[in-house]
Amino acid sequence: MARLVSTALVRGLVRSCRAPSAAAVSQSAFQQFMNYSSGIGHSNANGGSSSTGVAADPDTHQDFQPTSKSPSMSFNDIVSQDIKENPVLIYMKGYPDAPRCGFSALAVKVLQRYDVPISARDILGDPKLKESVKAHTNWPTFPQIFIKGEFVGGSDIILDMHQKGQLKDVLGDIAPRVSKAMPHEEDNKLSMGLLFDLVM
Amino acid sequence: MRQKLQSALEASALEIEDVSYQHAGHAAVKDNANETHFNIRVISSKFEGQSLVKRHRMVYGLLTDELNSGLHAISIVAKTPTESGS
Repeated sequence: MARLVSTALVRGLVRSCRAPSAAAVSQSAFQQFMNYSSGIGHSNANGGSSSTGVAADPDTHQDFQPTSKSPSMSFNDIVSQDIKENPVLIYMKGYPDAPRCGFSALAVKVLQRYDVPISARDILGDPKLKESVKAHTNWPTFPQIFIKGEFVGGSDIILDMHQKGQLKDVLGDIAPRVSKAMPHEEDNKLSMGLLFDLVM
Repeated sequence: MRQKLQSALEASALEIEDVSYQHAGHAAVKDNANETHFNIRVISSKFEGQSLVKRHRMVYGLLTDELNSGLHAISIVAKTPTESGS
């Protein structure tokens, strides 16, 4: 079981880009691993949707697999790896398309204004991950946003940077990434009961 | 909490607002929705030259006890006197 947990956890990293159409996020962090296309104002148009967004298919997510397949990868390793490998990373409550906290939702909305790939992990899924991240940054609350390997702050700070135009400078050189797999159209219609509708 | 922040930061202005009611029913708020979410606005010259992250860390550091006992989230606005225009 431990093996399953840690492998699945590593795959629990969610990537999303500015995708105005909501995609399914109802699966737990243990199962899913989704990619969204880097849409620029319109929904996924690249076609070729995978059968499901679930991480069960290793071929689709080859480049997101950890190089070490050891099942005993510690959470600290996962956190370090996340930070290193993802130009824009947010540890949040819930998922970009189904945030479970107003602050997390706000942070995602701000980041989605920029055409950058956003990687996200739900820290509600695993208390150990939550504690690892907190210990890593010595920061007591979520969401926590990392840009280019550096902890930037929480939702207040991200919003402030956005309003001051600082976020544009920091994110400007991150290339929008075209994802390899997209959730099946039907997945989009799954329950979105946890979605908070915030008006910015 | 007010006293701690006020004295440690030598704040020229400090506003603390309990907005816990806005978050009642929130996933992480169990039974007691009181004193779990606050908006804090503080103006202090001690923030001079500090990045936002550092400023927030300063505030968090002063509220460790509260954060360990029920305080769940705080929105922080941390400005220097110059920035606030006062």
